Formats: sequence, structure tokens, C-alpha cells
Amino acid sequence: MMNKKGTGSRAFFWTAVIGSLLIMVIIAGYSVWTTRQTVRATDDAVSAVSSFYLEAMADRWSQSISSQINDDFDMMDQALTFIQEEDVQSQDELRSTIGKMKSLLSLRRFALVDENNVVYTQYTTYTGGSRHPFLSKKQLAGRVISIVAPYGSARQLFLAVPTPGFSLMGKSFKACFIQIDIHEIIDLLAVDKQERTYFGLYLKNGENISDTSLGSFIGVRNIFDAIRGHVPESIRTESQSRFAEGGRGSISYSVSGLAETLCYVPVQKTDLVIAVMIRESLIQEQIRHISEKTLSNSRNQMLFTFVSVLLLATVLLIQFRISSRNRLEKEKEDSMHFRKMANTDALTGIRNKHAYLENEEHINQRISSGELKELAVAVCDINGLKYVNDHLGHSAGDSLIKAASSLICETFSHGAVFRIGGDEFAVLLQGEGYRTLQETIDALNRRVEANLRENKVVVAVGYAVLEPQDRQLQDVFERADQMMYERKSELKKKESLIRSRDPKEEKA
Amino acid sequence: MYAIKKLLRTAAALAAAALLPFFLSFPAAAESGESTAAGQPANDVRTAVDFQHQLDSYQPKKDRYNFYFTYKTVHAWWDAVALGMEEAQRQYLDRGITVTYEYMAPDTASAEDQTRRLLEAEKGGYDVIGVDVADEAVISPLLDRMVDSGVKVMTFSSSDAAKGCRRIAYVGNTHNYEDGAALTEALCRKLNYKGKVAILVGSVGAPCHEDRAAGARDTIARYGDMEIVATEYDMDSISLAYDLTRKILSEHPDLDGIICCNMSNPVGAARAVMRSQSSAVIVGMDHDVEALRYLRDGIIYCLGVQDCFSIGFDTIQAAVKIADGNLPGDLFPEKTDEITTIIYQKDAAIMLELLYGEIS
Repeated sequence: MMNKKGTGSRAFFWTAVIGSLLIMVIIAGYSVWTTRQTVRATDDAVSAVSSFYLEAMADRWSQSISSQINDDFDMMDQALTFIQEEDVQSQDELRSTIGKMKSLLSLRRFALVDENNVVYTQYTTYTGGSRHPFLSKKQLAGRVISIVAPYGSARQLFLAVPTPGFSLMGKSFKACFIQIDIHEIIDLLAVDKQERTYFGLYLKNGENISDTSLGSFIGVRNIFDAIRGHVPESIRTESQSRFAEGGRGSISYSVSGLAETLCYVPVQKTDLVIAVMIRESLIQEQIRHISEKTLSNSRNQMLFTFVSVLLLATVLLIQFRISSRNRLEKEKEDSMHFRKMANTDALTGIRNKHAYLENEEHINQRISSGELKELAVAVCDINGLKYVNDHLGHSAGDSLIKAASSLICETFSHGAVFRIGGDEFAVLLQGEGYRTLQETIDALNRRVEANLRENKVVVAVGYAVLEPQDRQLQDVFERADQMMYERKSELKKKESLIRSRDPKEEKA
Repeated sequence: MYAIKKLLRTAAALAAAALLPFFLSFPAAAESGESTAAGQPANDVRTAVDFQHQLDSYQPKKDRYNFYFTYKTVHAWWDAVALGMEEAQRQYLDRGITVTYEYMAPDTASAEDQTRRLLEAEKGGYDVIGVDVADEAVISPLLDRMVDSGVKVMTFSSSDAAKGCRRIAYVGNTHNYEDGAALTEALCRKLNYKGKVAILVGSVGAPCHEDRAAGARDTIARYGDMEIVATEYDMDSISLAYDLTRKILSEHPDLDGIICCNMSNPVGAARAVMRSQSSAVIVGMDHDVEALRYLRDGIIYCLGVQDCFSIGFDTIQAAVKIADGNLPGDLFPEKTDEITTIIYQKDAAIMLELLYGEIS
């Protein structure tokens, strides 16, 4: 019974521990899963937003450049009208007029070109056929947008318009052009000061003409040279073709763990492409930082909850164990009480026959094993109990039994006294009781003899000691019982004799 | 300030003159592939062209100047010179001094055309007339006459007038012969001083082109196993340079090298060599963007890059001083020398970036 209870408690304990661990693993796993899902969702969102943001930005900037170029063309037309209306008679006057236009339009160079490709500017007049490739044709077909890389300086944007019928100082002019520093265009565009967004102006072969760095990786290099090996070759060549054909698109790549996406959009009516690059990793990092902070809070909350639950479970477990132990102890006490009750004679308070039988079993084992050498059994029987019960009532009988029990217990102070029948007692004697057996028997008999005369309780006693041939207690008991009967007869005879000498006693 | 500069340049020229035979005699010294400037080693090819110029402390006497410049032919080389001139003009403008000028050339180099332009300019009342001499034999007498009649005349860029001409000063390359010799020496070294070579020259009579060709011829003559099999003039035309090279290659399929004496020569020669699948080694002058790409790609072996920007800048600065009546001396030299740097394949990318913003 005790083993079963112990096993149950351990099982409960381990169930609680494993259960808690399982809960912890589930919570941790869920937390990790949630984190990954959140990060993935965030990255997707960032990519989607980035692409949208980039394309919108590239479109806006492309339109800004187109718009500026168109405005410049319109201003050139107006300037030509103004110059034509001026009565320019000399080169000095022409230079002065060109200077006014240049100043008015805030241009780096405003020039007229005559039919011999002589270029007239505010301060110089020069033969410009080789310097300005867009002048190579005899006549310009229409508005020309040209990128020129002058020796030793940044690329310049030239806008040229044909000037059919335009003449001054007796010379016919074929074109008017202005020179715009590409950096000035770039300066007009908003720049992300936090260095998350980069942009550059490109030729259709991917060559940077704005000197603006498209991030630390691509820098000012040719886009398609820079990304070689960092994106699949098929994507690179496809993008390169689309770029060259004036299409739009985006390219994503990762370098040293940094994810970047660039979006390219052609600048309308030019051979230029604007590319905008965003470093998604930076945005992702920031959003991830926020997400991780939130997730960290959630994790802490979960951890706190888990610890609380664990503590509560531990307290409950301890309480349960204490409660179980108390209950066990109480059951043990109850068991002992019931056992005591089962082995105790209710009337006399001494051990009963059940207790005697338990002892007998134990003693028999010891006899069998040869362990027990010294044992005596005394069997006592109350004389006249039936008479008292019949004539004086059971209450008197009970008093007689109690008196007999007291007498036997007092006398066999070193023995174990059992009430094994209504008027029969057995005393098991070992040790001191065994050694003083005869004195005790004699003392009892003396008191019985005296009681006999005083009409008090009379107990017949027989005894026997364990003999080598005895196999069990019963063997000893039977000899003692036999002796007790003999003594009982003897006492009856003595009682009859005493009664016969004292009729008053007999009558009573 | 200018005296110091003059002194340094004189020292450099003397050193160059002293060292050139050394290099020619001990070619191994230049086999390192280091760039050279006027015969001297240059540690950093970026110094080949100096874009960082500041006007010196000379205070012009007037607030307006008007010049006339004429050069051999419309060509990218002189466009580079023009940029240096414009920078000087801009800096004068910042000082409140307006410099205007005409910078004119014919489409094809011609001493006759140049004569016509000079005669017209003479009547224009310009403060100074500058000339890149198309043909020293034809132009020098004219310049002398103009000077005698009170016109302030200077020469500039790559070709000075003939020795003894009374033009006031010259700003430009003063070592064309040495440039031709240095390029040819590089070629000979590459060919292990053995083989057939052709010489492409620019305009007939153009001093700079002729001087380089002379330097080339004299260098070849030093080596018994080297032979000049052809000399042609492309008249500063790339297409003509191409055609001439094709012709030479067809006549001499075993040609080992080509010496190019002007800017258009190496471009035309490289195109022809590629087309003919020839293994001829090309050495040449100047910084044409296409030539630099051929250098980068190994089609051209080396190029002599002149500092055109500095030539232009110094020309305007000298012109202002001449216009004020100054003569060569402490303020400016009679010949302002400008450097030439020989660059090799390893330098090509840097030069493409430096000169044309090409980043590969």
C-alpha cells in the first residue's frame, strides 16, 4: 500500500516536471516561430514598400529631370526670340546679349553655333565641331539632348535646338545650345540624408554620369559591372537589355549580408536612366529592432507568466506532498489504532485472542527457526464465572473477569497476558518472566488460595515451558492447559471443602 | 614666384636632357613600365595632367583683354587645351578681369588657312594673337612680319615657330623630339630591339609631329636590327590613319611595330591592327579616349600624354602678361615647358577616369 502511494507521488512529480518542461518548450517554440514569422512578414513588407517607394521616387525624379529639360528647351526658344529681336551688329554685342541670356537662365554656357560650327559664347568664339559631337551633322533634326564628357571634368548635359532661318551679323546660325552641369540637376533632387536611399543618373549602358554613389557597393561604377556575380547572370543580362532599351525594372541583390534593391526608370526623351537604390537591410534592421523589442516584451511576458505558473505549480506540488504525507500519517495512526482495537479486549483492556494468534504465528516461526529457546505459557481460567453470570448477572460476571484480569496482570508483571476466551487467559513468558516463572506461579496460587478463602476471584493456572520436541506454541499451550484443568479441579475441591466448613459462605 | 617655377622647369629640362641618353642607353631602367614625364620617371600617373591651377600673383594692367588664337586643326586635343584656357579665363573673371578670345581652326590642317586667319586677325585689334604653328616654314615669316608691325604674337600648344622667329613666347610642348624618341625606345625595348616598324606622322610640316618623327627615326637608327619600312602622314585624320595603317599592314604583314606621332595616329592604327588581326605593337601620342581604351585593352602598348589643360591655362596667363607689354623674363619664360607622361596599360583605367570620368 505504501509503495503504491510512493510511486503515485513520484509519478505526479515527474508528470508535473515534464509537463512544465513541455509547456516551456511549446512556449519557446511558439515564440521562435512567431519571431520568424514576424521577421519574414516584416521583410516582405519592407521589400514591397521599398519597391513601391523606389519606383515612385524614381518616377518622380525622372519626371523632375524631364520637366527641367523641357523648361530649359522652352527657355532657349524664348531666348532665341529675344536675341533675334535685338539689333546685334557686332561680335561684342552678340557676346553681351549671350551673356544676358546666360545670366537670365542661370546657365553655365549659352551658345549659338553658326553654319561653320563656330560656337559663340559670352567670352569665347571657337571652332567646336570636335568638341560638341552633336554638331557633327549639317543640320539638327530637332531638339538634341547630349551627354558629353569634357576632358578632365564631369560629364555635362547639352541641350541643343536647331535654329533654321536664324541669322545675325550676316551669318546663318544652325543651332543654339546650353550646357548644364549634371551635378546641378542632381542637386535639385531630394537626397536621403539618412543614406538609406541612393540614386544616380546613368547612360543606357549602365555608366554613371552623375558621380553620385549608388551605395557603398555599386558606388559610381557601371551598374552591370558592379552586380556581376551578385545576381544570377540571366537576371543581370535581362536587366541590362531592358536598361539599354529604355525600359524600367528593379534588381535586388545582397552583398555582405546587406540586402539592396535598385529601381531604374528611363528619363523621358533622353538617353538617360535614373536609378534609385534603397538599402533594405537598414530599414529592415530598424523595423526588426522595433519588432524584436515588441517580441522581447512578449517573450518577457511569457517568461514571467511561465515562471509564475511554475512557481504556483511548485507551491501546489509542495502543498500536495505535505497534505499527502499528513494524510498518510493519519492513515498510519488510524491503522495502528484499528490494529490496537483489533488486538485489545474491550472489557479488560488487555490483548485479546486475535493478538494472541498473531503472536502465536510469530512465535511459531521463531520456534521453527530454533531462535526461541526460552518460553513458557501459563493458562489461567476463572472459576465460577458461569455461576456468577447466571446468578448475579453479566455485570457481576464482567467485574469478575476484570478482577481476574487484574490479578493475572499484576502477578505476571513480566509476561504478555491475553484474554483468549470468556474466562480463559494465556500468558506468554520470556526473559525475566520465563526465569521467574515458578515464583510467579507460586505467588498467584498463594493469592488464589487466599481469595478462595475470602470468596474473591479464583483463578486456576497451569503452565508449561518450551521443550525441545515442541514444534509450535500450541504444543506448550496444550500442556499448560491440561495442567490448568487439573488445577481447576483441585481448586474446586478446595472450594467445596471451604464451603462445606462455612454453610453461610456456601449459602451466599 | 614665376622665377622659381622657371628655375624648376629649367632644372627639369636640364635633367631630362641629361637623363634621356641614360634611358636610351640603359633601356632596362625604363622596363619597369613606370610612366615617364619628359624623360623622367613619374611615380604617379595622376600627375600627367594637372587640373589644379591657380593664377599667379601677377596683377593685369587692364580689366578687359581680347585675344585671337588659331591652331592646326579642329581636333579633340585642342579641345582639351581650350578647357585649360577657359579655366584661366574663369579665374580672371573672378578677379574682375574679362578675358575674351577667339579660338579657331580649320577642319583640316593647312598652312594656307592659318595664314589667312592670321592676316584677318592682324586687322582685328586683338591684344595678343596666339598661333599653334601649322607649318613653321610658312608661318614663321608671317609671324615675324606681324611682330615687326607691332602685333603681339605668341605661339602655343604643340608647335612653336621656327628657330629664330621673333614671336614673343611659346607655351607648350618643348620636347616633341624627346617624346618621339622615348615612345620609340619603349617600342624597341618591347620588340627586344629587333623588327620592322612603320611611322605615322600627323600634318606635313607640323613641327611637333615632325620633331617626334625625327626622334623616332633617330632612335630606330641606333639599333641595327630595327628597320623603318614605311612613313605616312594622316593629316590629323583618324580615318586616314586607319587607311594608311591597313595599307602598310597589307604591304608588310610581318610588321612588328607602329610609331604614332599625333593624337589621331594611334586610334586609326589600333582600329586597323584589330581589323587586320596583326600583332604589331603600337606606341603613340596623346590621350584620345578611344586610344586610352585601346591601351586599357592591350591593343596599344603605350601612349605619351601631354598636359593639354596646363598648356591652355598657361597660354592665357602668358597672353595677359604679353598684352600688358611684358617680355619673357621673370614674369614668364620665353618657352613654357609642359610635361609629357608615357603611360602603359596599367595606367589606362586611371587616365580614363581622370580625363573622361570613365569608371570601369
